[in-house]
Amino acid sequence: MPEIDWFPLILSLRVALIATAFVVVIGVGLGWLLARRRFFGRELLDAAVTLPLVLPPTVLGYYLLVLLGRRSPVGQAIESLTGQPLVFTWRGAVVAAGIGALPLVVKTSRTAIAAVDTNLEDAARTLGQSEWRVFWRVTMPLASRGIIASAMLAFARALGDFGATLMVAGNIPGRTQTAAVAIFDAAQAGRDRYALVLVLILSAVTLILVYVTNKLTVGR
Amino acid sequence: MTLSVSIKKALGLSAWDDRNETLGTTTAPTFGTFHLDVEFEAPPGFTILFGASGSGKTTTLKSISGIVSPDSGRISINEEPLFDSDRGIDIPIRKRGVGYVFQDLALFPHLSAVANVEFGMSGQPKLERRRRAEAMMEALHIPHTASRRPRDVSGGEAQRIALARALSCRPRLLLLDEPLSAIDEATKIGIISDLKSLNREMGLPIVYVTHNREEAVSLGERVVVFERGRVVARGLPIEVFGSPITSSVAKLTGVENVFAGRIVGRSEASGTMTVEISDGIAVCLIDVPFGNQALGESVTVAVPAGDILLATEEPRSTTLRNRLVGSISAVEERANRTVVSVQAGVTWRASVTRQSVTELGLTEGQNVWLAFKTHSCYLLDQTL
Repeated sequence: MPEIDWFPLILSLRVALIATAFVVVIGVGLGWLLARRRFFGRELLDAAVTLPLVLPPTVLGYYLLVLLGRRSPVGQAIESLTGQPLVFTWRGAVVAAGIGALPLVVKTSRTAIAAVDTNLEDAARTLGQSEWRVFWRVTMPLASRGIIASAMLAFARALGDFGATLMVAGNIPGRTQTAAVAIFDAAQAGRDRYALVLVLILSAVTLILVYVTNKLTVGR
Repeated sequence: MTLSVSIKKALGLSAWDDRNETLGTTTAPTFGTFHLDVEFEAPPGFTILFGASGSGKTTTLKSISGIVSPDSGRISINEEPLFDSDRGIDIPIRKRGVGYVFQDLALFPHLSAVANVEFGMSGQPKLERRRRAEAMMEALHIPHTASRRPRDVSGGEAQRIALARALSCRPRLLLLDEPLSAIDEATKIGIISDLKSLNREMGLPIVYVTHNREEAVSLGERVVVFERGRVVARGLPIEVFGSPITSSVAKLTGVENVFAGRIVGRSEASGTMTVEISDGIAVCLIDVPFGNQALGESVTVAVPAGDILLATEEPRSTTLRNRLVGSISAVEERANRTVVSVQAGVTWRASVTRQSVTELGLTEGQNVWLAFKTHSCYLLDQTL
């Protein structure tokens, strides 16, 4: 049996970890906005961030490719800022995995934040706390279970992203080939044992994540 | 410090969150829109906002604290505006310096009692915060709860933690929303008397919301009666509730001097009546506010122990009409005050601070003067 190539798995973990970090910050912010602020188009915003959950991943990937590609203004801006393009690099995989995971964080953290008693937040305000401190000292700690759970789901989702990642980052072995893509590649090429190893590892990691998430959200 | 409030607000009933639902009463006085239109002042001491559920009391407190913005009007503390629709002023909640004890207390469940009390003291060194929080908890007799979570303390302790938390920010004003509706009488009286003695130094206006008539009568230096979003009466409890309070209420609330007597003089011109108090042997005469009782009628007089002033010499040039001389029969230390019993015809009880006892050198057997206002005397509707 040939030496197992661990690169796709390590890349997947790295991509998922970075994507989760970004998505938690953005997603919890959006979740707070949707739970606590009344503004025009609130439900429309909620629907828009839910879209990646229901759209075919290839459609999502296509949008991202058009939006971030080397010929788009956004893509060119990124390229001139960072000196390299986003598409067909591992950074593109981070964006693709992140967008796919965003709805999970927004939905879960919106629910968790909405469940925090607003009286507690008002009490903190009467005790001289700014909105920022109210969030960090009251809302966040009380919603933390839900938010941690949402981060774990996001990580699991990002780890397994296939369609959007393939569209945006491509399938370049040793550079952008994540575990999910490598499994497809290996299965196509008849390297069944290699595919099986990756499948089992991904399944196990995801199972553990979902199990812990359930523990966090249900077991109170 | 004086709070003055004059506000209007229209509320759609669907959006109207009075949080009184817990009492199981209907909050809606009418269908459609609820109009709040109230005006009152709260000088230092207790001001009771009294009214049924849904009369707009909580909305008023939320407006004062800044949680709710009125449609129009003014709210100010000592002429300093917190809200003024004409001048476009609406100070954010955190800058108002208003202590607020919520109806459900709103203690932070994820923090220990002492962390709750420290919560508002950010911006100070950790040690200083801890020291002040502990001092405040000491003053409210809850140091033993410091490391517990709110869910692990009793109802009365939770009330005291919430009070300590509000007071530790050194507010300019304290708002209490039906704070004691869920706890028993004895605990309630303890908390009130501790709060009163703390406030002797702080001198805060305390706005206290209740729908309980006995509570309003017993606490009130002033009562403002709310009905369907309007103020329909204001004044002393005795004026607002048509005078007669029951002697059980008087005793319950720490009015410790309750005597049987007889009207022996009436003077509408001076606005007073003279009552002869007797325990069967000795007699003393005091002036009480003019009322509709007849000459010779038997009455019950109540005088709060805290309203009686003690002096070692006759207090001549004062407006206090009731001056009695007697000898001290007992000096008792209570939790946070000293009760001096004085034999002057009947036995009077005066509640004073430990410090005054030391300064005046009050001891048993000594002669002292008692003095109190005509309006500190309440005629009760029951004879003893």
